[in-house]
Amino acid sequence: MTVTIPGRRIELVPMDPHCGDISIALYARQNQGELAAPADGVELATPADGVELAAPGDGGELAVVWTFSRRPGAAERVKAVARSIAVLAGLEPVEGRPATLRFGCGDWHEAALRRAFLEACKLGPDGEPAVRPLEVHDRQTGQAIRAVHIGGGTYRVEASGIEESQTSRAPAVARGLAKLAQLDPGPDDVTVAFPCGARHDALVGLLLPRALNVRAVIREEEMQAARGVLSAPSARQE
Amino acid sequence: MSAVETMTSRERVLAALRREPVDRTPLVNPTSVATVELMDLVDAPFPEANREPELMARLAMTGHTELGFDAVMPVFSIIQESSALGCKIQWEQKDNWPTVRMREPVYETVDDIRLPDGWIDHPDTQCVIQAIKILRRELGDEVAIIGKTMGPWSLAYHTFGVEPFLLLSLDDPKATAEVLRRLEQVTIDFGLAQIEAGVDALTLPDHATGDLVSGEYYKRYLQEMHAAFAEQLPVPLILHICGRTVDRMGYIAETGMAAFHFDSKNTPAESMAAVEGRISLVGNVNNPETLFAKGPEAVRAEVLANLEAGVQMIGPECAIPLQTPIESLRAISETVHAYHA
Repeated sequence: MTVTIPGRRIELVPMDPHCGDISIALYARQNQGELAAPADGVELATPADGVELAAPGDGGELAVVWTFSRRPGAAERVKAVARSIAVLAGLEPVEGRPATLRFGCGDWHEAALRRAFLEACKLGPDGEPAVRPLEVHDRQTGQAIRAVHIGGGTYRVEASGIEESQTSRAPAVARGLAKLAQLDPGPDDVTVAFPCGARHDALVGLLLPRALNVRAVIREEEMQAARGVLSAPSARQE
Repeated sequence: MSAVETMTSRERVLAALRREPVDRTPLVNPTSVATVELMDLVDAPFPEANREPELMARLAMTGHTELGFDAVMPVFSIIQESSALGCKIQWEQKDNWPTVRMREPVYETVDDIRLPDGWIDHPDTQCVIQAIKILRRELGDEVAIIGKTMGPWSLAYHTFGVEPFLLLSLDDPKATAEVLRRLEQVTIDFGLAQIEAGVDALTLPDHATGDLVSGEYYKRYLQEMHAAFAEQLPVPLILHICGRTVDRMGYIAETGMAAFHFDSKNTPAESMAAVEGRISLVGNVNNPETLFAKGPEAVRAEVLANLEAGVQMIGPECAIPLQTPIESLRAISETVHAYHA
């Protein structure tokens, strides 16, 4: 077997419309500080230049953006996606590895990272990634939703502009955030906490709009996962 | 690697199809192990890899070179000959399977069945033939090449539509048998063409699936016809039927086909018991849950269950989802090699 697999695959975008429909994937691998395999022309984004896969190993997990495509522009696209993830989710690029990232907290937030990857892939060459605000407008209720860091990686979700006939959307959004990023529940129904205890404003800002409607997110993910599954003719729904 | 390998991949697969001793359990994929990542690796994406022989061959080769299977299978889809028969095909994109538009059937009655002149020379059937020739040239005698020719039940679904054909099978057994009899020529001719091009074995999918067609239906409509295929097509045949099929495995074992490609809805142990050594089994790692979603550890467990049950050839249960991770597919090969080490 000839091709190197960069680790455990977390997420895949099977067709990237911004780069000739190549597939782009997010892989996780442990940082053992090992040297990359010799460049074979396949490992475009990370080991192709023959430098270390990561800084000397600390055993923590690394996120690697990857493609198996050798088409022109593929390597640059992968690096651009990695840069976007770094901005959108607040990850740190690993020096000398333009498509390898890690969390500054030293922990690993896979669920949130998966969604950051999918968001990053939506950005085309002209899309400049930017940290999203910790506040969002809920169109359904008109409420303003805000996430406030109250220390130790814990965020409190607040809602304002609640009309008399309404209930606060804050508990639902907190549950949504917890589900999307696999956060721990706080002492009440509007607080959630990162298990690492570190502040992750960029991640929370990225996920806050999606937390308004988690069902839609899950439905979208399920539809995407169902593509490419071959059914027997008798099982097909046309 | 296994401790001692004394056979080539091709020898190993052919021996297992004959239920003869092997140096290790062969890794066989009777349907498809194409993924979008493998398409990118060799720059052979769907839908072109279903329509251009060089791309089809290149993508098929990755089953051996990248995943470690002992056989390659270039006929990823189930629509090549249906396209040649005039069915409308939705070719889809890289990340999805081409399908027959069964809501726009080409036949309504038995008398409508007219095979188009020269259908075997249609680009979508010739693509398969040419890809097989390329693979034989590239792989020589080292790796088994498996082709695919669809059975008449599947072809009837494609040409009549699923619902009309199933209703016909309930209302008019005689007409149903006649439909199958007329369509079997497609199965035979396409199979013979692939044999001439160089395949070592043929997968014969015939979707009398467990959910819609009973074991008795299988016996009534298909068993005899499948037995005839085993005589008319002079290579080992691998019958593929999805779903829960243990109720017909005994009948299938009597057809003279070399192997049955079985679904994970049937356990390896009960399936081995059902066929009583009269036919080889190949399978049956679950696709949508295990290979696609659960990952290598779960794959290993299912491969081991098959090995422990004595299943003759190990592989996925059906065509794998196109987004399946490569590491899960490699776990099949790694587990088999470790088992025999």
